[in-house]
Amino acid sequence: MKRPRMARIYPASGLAGLLFVLTAIWYAAATQGNAAAYLLLFVLAAVFLVSIPHTLLNLVGLKATAESVKPAFAGSEVSLPVEILNQSTVGRHGIELSVLGCKGQPVRINRIPAGQATRVTLRFAASKRGQHQMGMLRLECVYPLGFLRAYRSVTTRQQYLVYPRPAGDPNLPLESASRSENKPQPELGEGDDFAGVRPYILGESQRHIDWKAVARGHELMTKQFSTDTRGSLCFELAAARFPDVEDQLSQLTLWVIEAERERRAYGLRLPTGEIAPSFGQAHFHQCLRALALF
Amino acid sequence: MKAPRHKDTRIPRRPFLWLAAALLFTLPPMFGALSSWVPAIFLIALAAKFWMEPRGYRLRSLVWKLLLGATALVCIFVSYGSIKGIEPGVSLIAILMSLKILEAHTGREFQVMAMVAWILCLCGFFLSQDLSIAVCLLTAFTLVLVALIQFHSGSSAAFWPPVRTACKLLAQALPIIAALFLFFPRIATGFRFQIVQSRLSATGFGDQLSPGSISSLAKSTRVAFRAEFPDGRIPSPAAMYWRGAVLRQCNGLEWRALEEPASIPRFSQHVPESEGIRQWITIEPYGGHWMFALDWPATPVTGTTLAPGHCLWSAQAIRKAKRYEVTSFPKNRKEELHPRERKILLEVPARISPAVWQLVQSWKATDPSPRAVLRTALQFFRTQHFRYSLSPGEYQNNDLDEFLFHRRLGFCEHYAAAFATLMRLAGVPARVVVGYLGGEYNELGRFFLVREADTHAWCEVWLEDSGWVRVDPTSVVAPDRVNLGLNLFLERRAASGQVQSGQSQLARTLARSRIFAEARLAWQAVNYAWDTRVLSFDSETQKSFLGEIGIRSNGPLPLIGWSFAIASGLIVIYAGWMGLFTRVGGDRVKTLYKQFCRKAARLGVHNKPSEGPSDFANRAARLLPNESDRIRRISDAYITARYSASATPVVTEELAKEVSRFAKTRLRPVKLKT
Repeated sequence: MKRPRMARIYPASGLAGLLFVLTAIWYAAATQGNAAAYLLLFVLAAVFLVSIPHTLLNLVGLKATAESVKPAFAGSEVSLPVEILNQSTVGRHGIELSVLGCKGQPVRINRIPAGQATRVTLRFAASKRGQHQMGMLRLECVYPLGFLRAYRSVTTRQQYLVYPRPAGDPNLPLESASRSENKPQPELGEGDDFAGVRPYILGESQRHIDWKAVARGHELMTKQFSTDTRGSLCFELAAARFPDVEDQLSQLTLWVIEAERERRAYGLRLPTGEIAPSFGQAHFHQCLRALALF
Repeated sequence: MKAPRHKDTRIPRRPFLWLAAALLFTLPPMFGALSSWVPAIFLIALAAKFWMEPRGYRLRSLVWKLLLGATALVCIFVSYGSIKGIEPGVSLIAILMSLKILEAHTGREFQVMAMVAWILCLCGFFLSQDLSIAVCLLTAFTLVLVALIQFHSGSSAAFWPPVRTACKLLAQALPIIAALFLFFPRIATGFRFQIVQSRLSATGFGDQLSPGSISSLAKSTRVAFRAEFPDGRIPSPAAMYWRGAVLRQCNGLEWRALEEPASIPRFSQHVPESEGIRQWITIEPYGGHWMFALDWPATPVTGTTLAPGHCLWSAQAIRKAKRYEVTSFPKNRKEELHPRERKILLEVPARISPAVWQLVQSWKATDPSPRAVLRTALQFFRTQHFRYSLSPGEYQNNDLDEFLFHRRLGFCEHYAAAFATLMRLAGVPARVVVGYLGGEYNELGRFFLVREADTHAWCEVWLEDSGWVRVDPTSVVAPDRVNLGLNLFLERRAASGQVQSGQSQLARTLARSRIFAEARLAWQAVNYAWDTRVLSFDSETQKSFLGEIGIRSNGPLPLIGWSFAIASGLIVIYAGWMGLFTRVGGDRVKTLYKQFCRKAARLGVHNKPSEGPSDFANRAARLLPNESDRIRRISDAYITARYSASATPVVTEELAKEVSRFAKTRLRPVKLKT
C-alpha cells in the first residue's frame, strides 16, 4: 500500500493578524529600546515557529476510510459516512474533513484519542444523476494556534449513485392507459393484510419471520401479507409530457416515488429494458437505479 | 440549500473564559498607570459579555459603536489633556478592546481578540517593566495561548489538555526565545516617536536638597539600584556611600546643584595609585540624570560625564533599566582647588542670623584651623541633644536658627545641610553630597540591593592637606543609622518604643520569619536577574556579547539570518523528535504474527494464502515437532488477541514473548515421509 503523503501547510486566515502583531511589537520595541517588548516579540515568534511541526504532525497517522454511500436524489445531499482512525500514539485535535471540490461546511472532529476511530458523516450536494466516483477527501487542521492550516488529501475508491431529481406532475398517469391486468388480484408480498404463513427461505428478509411462533418452538415461518392492488402501473418515458429526456426521467422518478408511497405495483418500460411491475424497497431502488443510469 | 459559510455565531464558552482570564492579567499595569476609569470600563465590558453571551445580545449597531468610540476618545482627551503619548494610547487600545469584546461573536473575531490581548501585553510592558508586572503579562500571554488552543481543538475538549499543550509549546519555544534574544539584532529605528513619560518624573532624587525632600523618600520601598562587586572587594556597609549628586549652592537648610553639570568641562583624568573597587550597577529607571557609584568613581561610563565633584551624570534621563560598570577609589587623591571654585564653595546665603554667626565665631576663636573647627562642630552636634527623626516637622523659611538652637530635631538632610552651611561660615569650603548609604545584601544573587529608603545626604569639606574629606554629621547624631542601615535602625527604635511603627506586630513577625525572608531574597535575586540579564540587554550589551563569543557583526541582516537559522534548525529537530514519538503504531498483534510467519518461513514452513491461522499452526506443528507446543501457544494467543472479545494486553504480551522465543535455536524441519 502506498504510504500516505506528508501533510502540506499553508497560511490560515489568522496569519495576517499575527504578522501584523509581530510587526507592531517589533516596531514598538525597536523605537523604545524596550527589552521586555523584545522578549514578548521573541516569545510570540518562537511559539509560532514551534507550532508549525505541531500543526503538521497533527495529521500524521490519520486514516480516513469512506464507507458505502446511500443513493441520493439529485438536488438533495449525499451523506458519506467516513471512519477516521487515529493510528498514532497521541490524540489528534480539531480535525476538519471535507470532500475536495465540493462546497459545503467541513465536518469538524474535536478529538480522536490515540488508537481510536471516529465516524462522521460528510454531506455534500448531489448535483447530477448517475454513477459517480467519489472525489478526494481532504483532512485539514489549524490546531493548535490557528495561524497555519495543514492539509492532506485522501483518495477513496467509493462510488455513489444519484437518482434523478423528482419533479413534474405528482398525479399518477391514468390506470387504464397502462393497466396490464383488469381484474384486481390479491398479491402476496408486502402489504397490510395478514394472509397466512409459509416456511422461511434462507436468505429472505427476517423482518417478517413469525418470531412469536419461533418462541413457541415452531420452525421459522414467514408471515405473508397481501395488498389489494387496484391494478399495476407501467411507466414509460413517453407518458411524461416533456420534450427533454432529463425532465421525463424526473417525472418518472416522481411517479415511482408516488406509486411506492401508495403501495401500488408499478413497473418501468425503458428503451434499455423493462422492469416488471412490483413494489417494495428492493423494487423501488431497482427502478430508481435504472432511471439514474439511463 | 446553501449553508452560510460562517455558522459560528457564538463564541464557545470555555475558550472565552480563558481569554477573559488572560485579559484580567493584563490589567495590573493599567491600574497603576492609567486613569482608573479605563480599566474599570474594561472590566465592566468583560462582565457584560458574560451576561450577554448566553442571551444572544451583542453590540450590533454601527452607530452605537461609533458613538461609544467617539465618547471614549473625548473622555481620554479630557482626562489626559492629549491623545498623544503612551497613557492615552494604551487607554485607547484598552477601550477599543472593550468595544470589541462587546461586539465579537464569530470565531474569526475570537482570533482578533486574542491578537489584541497580545497587544495589550505589549502595552503593559510600556507602562511598567517590573518583574511582577512581567510575570503577570507573561501569564496573560500564556492564557491567550491556552484560549487559542482550546478554541481550535473544539470547545468540548477537556480542561487540562490545552494547558498542557500551551506549556509544551512554551517549553519547546524556550531555546528559540533564548537564541532570538541573544542574536536578533536590536535595530534602532531612525524615526523614534517620543513618548511623553509623565509617570517617570524624577521622584525625589533631584538637583536640590530641601527639608523633607529625602525623608519623603525614606518611606519608599522602591529599588533604586543594585550593585555587584565582581572582584569580591566589598566595603563594609557603613562605608558604602553611594555618591549621587553634589550640591554646591547653599541656602541655609536648602541646597542646590549649581548648574547643569554637563556644561562644565570635564576634569582631567588621572587614576590614583590605590586599587579600585569595581562595581556592576543596575540602575532602575527613575527619570533623573544622576547615576550612582561608591565614593569616588573614577572611570566614566559610556554615555555619562564625570561631573565636577566626582559624580556621574547621564546625558539622557534614565528611563529604562541600565547596567554599567564603574570603578571607585576609596582614597581620594589630593587635588588643587581653583581660587574661583573656592570662592563658589564658600558662598553663603545673605540671610544668616547673628546667633549662627556668633556660634561659628566662637568655634573659630578657640582654634581657627579647619580641622579643629570641624571637630568642634561635630562635638556641637554630639553634645547638644540633637535628635534624629524621620518626621521632624517643617522648618519655616529654611530656619537654621530654629534647627540649631531650638527644635534640634532632624533627618540626615537637615544635618548635612546645616553642617555644610556652618563649615562655609567658618571659611572651610564645603558641599553636600546626596546619594545612598548601605544596602541589603542578597546572598542568593550576591548583590547589594539599595532602595530609595536608603537615600542619604552627607558633607564633604576641603582641607588643605588632604583635599576633599567626607564628613557625615548624621553618624554623630545617630551612629546606628550609619552602622545598621535605616530599616534595621528604625526597627530597633520601634522596639524600644522611640518611634511608632506603622506596621502591625503580625506583619513585622512575618517579615522576620525565616521562610518569608528567604522567599524575599529569592524574589529579589530573580528580580535582579530580570533587570540585569533581560531589561538592560540593549544593542550595546549585545554587541559586546557577540564580540566576546567571536562574532563580528557587520550589519543586522547576517544576524537576522543567523537567528532564524538557529530557530529553524531547532524546529527541524523538534519535528523529527516529535515525529519519532508520534510514529504510526499500526497493529502490534498483526506485526507479531507476521514476524512469527517469517520465522516459520525461514524454517521452511510457508504460510499459504488460503490457510487460516489454526490450519497453518497444525501444519507447522507437524513439520516442526520440537516447537509444536510453542507454535500452538502462539497461534492460540494470536487468535485470542485478534478475534476474541476478551483480548487483553496480557495476551499480546504473551504473544510477543512466545514469538521472540520461537526458533531461537536453529531447527531443521523434519522431512515427513509420505
